[in-house]
Amino acid sequence: MSGVVGRRLGWLVAALLLLLLAVLLSLAVGSRAIAPSVVWDALLHGGNSADAQVVRSLRVPRTVIGVMVGAALAVAGTVLQGITRNPIAEPGILGISQGASMGVVCAIAFLGVHSLNGYVWYAFLGAGVAAVLIYAVASSGRGGASPVKLALAGAAMNAFLASLISAVLTTDARALDEFRFWDVGSISGRDAAIAGQVWPFLLAGLLLVLAMARGLDALALGDDIARGLGRNVALLRATGALGATVLTGAAVAAAGPITFIGLAVPHMARALVGPGHRWLLPVAALLGPVMLLLADVLGRVVVRPAEVPVAVMTALAGVPFLVVLVRRKTVAA
Amino acid sequence: MTGNPSSAPRPSRLTARDLTLAYEDRTVVEELDLDIPDGKVTVIVGPNACGKSTLLRALGRLLKPRRGAVLLDGTELARLPTKRIAQVIGLLPQTPVPPEGITVGDLIARGRQPHQKWWQQWSEADEASVSAAMERTGTAELAERPVDELSGGQRQRVWIAMALAQDTDLLLLDEPTTYLDIAHQVEVLDLVRQLNRERGRTVVAVLHDLNQAARYADHLIAMRAGRIVAQGAPVDVVKAELVEEVFGLASVVVPDPVTGGPMVVPGPPRSTDGTSESEGVLGDADGGGATVPAAREAAR
Amino acid sequence: MTRGGAVGDISGVGGVGGGRPAGHVVLRAGQGSFLVHRRALVVGAVLTVLLAGAGVTSLCVGESFVAPSEVVRVLLGMPSPDQLVVGTLRLPRLVTGLLVGAAFGMSGALIQTMARNPLASPDVIGVTHGAGAATVAAMTFGLTSYTVLPYVSVAGGLLAALLVYLFAWRGGLTASRFVLIGIGISVALGSLTRLLVTKGDYLVAQQAKTWLTGSLNGRGYDQAAPLATVLLLMVPFLLWAARAQRGAAFDDDTATALGIRLGRVRVGLSVLGVVLASVATGAAGPVDFVALLAPQIARRLTRTPHVPLVCSALTGALIVVVADLLARRLLSPLELPVGVFTALVGAPYLMWLIVRTRSSRSGGNA
Repeated sequence: MSGVVGRRLGWLVAALLLLLLAVLLSLAVGSRAIAPSVVWDALLHGGNSADAQVVRSLRVPRTVIGVMVGAALAVAGTVLQGITRNPIAEPGILGISQGASMGVVCAIAFLGVHSLNGYVWYAFLGAGVAAVLIYAVASSGRGGASPVKLALAGAAMNAFLASLISAVLTTDARALDEFRFWDVGSISGRDAAIAGQVWPFLLAGLLLVLAMARGLDALALGDDIARGLGRNVALLRATGALGATVLTGAAVAAAGPITFIGLAVPHMARALVGPGHRWLLPVAALLGPVMLLLADVLGRVVVRPAEVPVAVMTALAGVPFLVVLVRRKTVAA
Repeated sequence: MTGNPSSAPRPSRLTARDLTLAYEDRTVVEELDLDIPDGKVTVIVGPNACGKSTLLRALGRLLKPRRGAVLLDGTELARLPTKRIAQVIGLLPQTPVPPEGITVGDLIARGRQPHQKWWQQWSEADEASVSAAMERTGTAELAERPVDELSGGQRQRVWIAMALAQDTDLLLLDEPTTYLDIAHQVEVLDLVRQLNRERGRTVVAVLHDLNQAARYADHLIAMRAGRIVAQGAPVDVVKAELVEEVFGLASVVVPDPVTGGPMVVPGPPRSTDGTSESEGVLGDADGGGATVPAAREAAR
Repeated sequence: MTRGGAVGDISGVGGVGGGRPAGHVVLRAGQGSFLVHRRALVVGAVLTVLLAGAGVTSLCVGESFVAPSEVVRVLLGMPSPDQLVVGTLRLPRLVTGLLVGAAFGMSGALIQTMARNPLASPDVIGVTHGAGAATVAAMTFGLTSYTVLPYVSVAGGLLAALLVYLFAWRGGLTASRFVLIGIGISVALGSLTRLLVTKGDYLVAQQAKTWLTGSLNGRGYDQAAPLATVLLLMVPFLLWAARAQRGAAFDDDTATALGIRLGRVRVGLSVLGVVLASVATGAAGPVDFVALLAPQIARRLTRTPHVPLVCSALTGALIVVVADLLARRLLSPLELPVGVFTALVGAPYLMWLIVRTRSSRSGGNA
């Protein structure tokens, strides 16, 4: 028993070290390569060299936001997979991110909201409505919310929201111009203030979700057994969905829609520390930023001097992952 | 111990030769030879996971053999077009799923598919077979009801009607009595035997219940761990030692008070460490204990 | 993949008394006999009449109104002062809309049958997003001709679908693998498309957005002709599909027991659906929701246990023609892409589907 705990603790520490490495890479690599010692110097002692300026004003906010968004998406994915008992649940595929986008578009086009502080609420609202609708569609009819039904409901919701967004944007050229830069998830060029605005939501979402880790474990055994163990299944689901929605909304508001982090990271974490959520959630929260930052760093160097937004990198990297996952026998119809 | 299975003068229509069946890397049935006696009811029994359903699936070409072959009239099933097989072998899978919203009449009529062509969607023969199948299974009055609304027993009758409408000489049934209460179980099994007696159809069924198997089979096949342990007439096969060997269960075999055939009565419940719990329930643990050796004695 | 041998395997319907199913009629001709769903026949006729009405209306209405009698004269090839407006300007657009709607309708019917799910549509199997990514890429590189773009788009759609087949194939094709991988690829391609829109200049972005919504603006015989050719060539396969669809509703074991080669049926249906969707997308862009809506509406009208192919085509055509009419005239002189309207119809429908399937489980909500 202690061997298992030791191994899990080992992975937790390893994930933490990986995160540190990813953070360092994210600070040092870019169109201007900066040596780690210089990064270190700039962080600790300030300084006014061009390198120090770049690190402090551009790369630090970018990295901080990357860490927050990565953790939020990974944890949201873990929780969604837990409450739906469905290995492909993910905010992007399920259309929850798109719902948040819809909220932002409406805020820009109809309500004249142009600050993140303003539209984060609309992102939450959109994400929440989309999440409820998708689950309602998928769980109706025969067989409950199977992976295929959930994915299809999400795809239909994605298509629906995408065309609504197009409808709004084709009639409002100014909104299109403002929105299209936000529409591709990216963590570059984000103001440090964004991090300051998002963290309370992130913290609230994480605490909510961590508090229900044991409940998620019970839910994994099936609704009836969870009920037999004295859990309030409906309350658990609602809490989990709320947590996931808050996390997704915060992430989307900060960085735009980013897919596949929420899909891939929970599976990796599960492979490392097993299905218990008390270990799974922290490890996912550490690995999410690792994935996101590495994808971002890769996006900075593949087509130098231009950059590929991180959302495109994660989407491209996510496809092979999904293919492997689906081709394994574990995902049944 | 796969002695001559049948006294039929000509070779069986459906046979298996050197059959090895496997899922992924798990071998379920190994090097099995089998002749299904024509015109009889054959029942396959065995403990869970002994490969009986797997064997039936292979006989109905739902599962490709890893090695060896299933032969229909001497030709390997894998070499026959699946539609041609469907004209000779009717098959009822364990858990068939009806198309959503379909009516009973529509579903039963789809049993005619193997006999229809693109330009012949509904012949006189189709009409006759479907009416006959409905009448026989008592499903005619359900014809316009959606299958989704039926009870388990009714649904099973509808599926059997569909297999009947297919009008085949051979009929394979995979646990046709699962999910049915005892009255419906008897009803279905009576129907199966009736079909065999009146039309001389060859029936192969997998059953869970040893006593039902003994009662309805002309030819009984007992399997264990992917091999045939014994086969023949129920009265020759169903012995206490065989039950012990196949199921690991101590029992007494007595004559069925109704049919006179063999009937298996399990030995008393055993409590592994002789705790008082079983005493409390049974009242007399000693008496129970005495019966097991008695059963073994009787089996000798 | 769909050899002749499998053609015509599927049929049969059962019934009351005589064994023939209720609500079906048998048409006999010599050796042949055809079983037709009576209600589907009626629904098909009604849809055809409605479609003709909508078509004529759409030819009458525009910047200038043309009397229906003149429209009919033009259609019959008789000389008319309105020849230019009706015959040259409005008719090509109408024909394109009809064909696009019919193709999307059938594509949706086939994909939904294959996936056994009413929410499946060409969007989820990569076709639409593949076509979108390819077209937007072409636009970014300065290719803007509506004569060439359709081919780029078809190529993109087919390529994406091919990728989905490659990844989903594992000794056969199961609906769940096909759909899940299709969705994954769609998401990835969608994000590539968004990247292109973001990186491109503003005009390209505007044009791409319009194309991605689906529009009949400026479409005519140049787009309709290839689509019509492909549809004609596909007729024999569609006849096969119309019957093969019935078998696809069974589970694998039952289908095999009935002599249906479900693996082949699935591949055949999905290939047809992919081809139809990609040529339709090529002509008008991804007109949202038509492929999702048309088959389900048609099925509710006919009350058949399977999705009716011909009625889906008619419904799809009707949706596109009516939506395009509204898109042209509602905010006139501002013209909206037709896709906006199909989406606006699609939204309430989706909600209705949610409410309905929740309240009644046994109804025809496959």
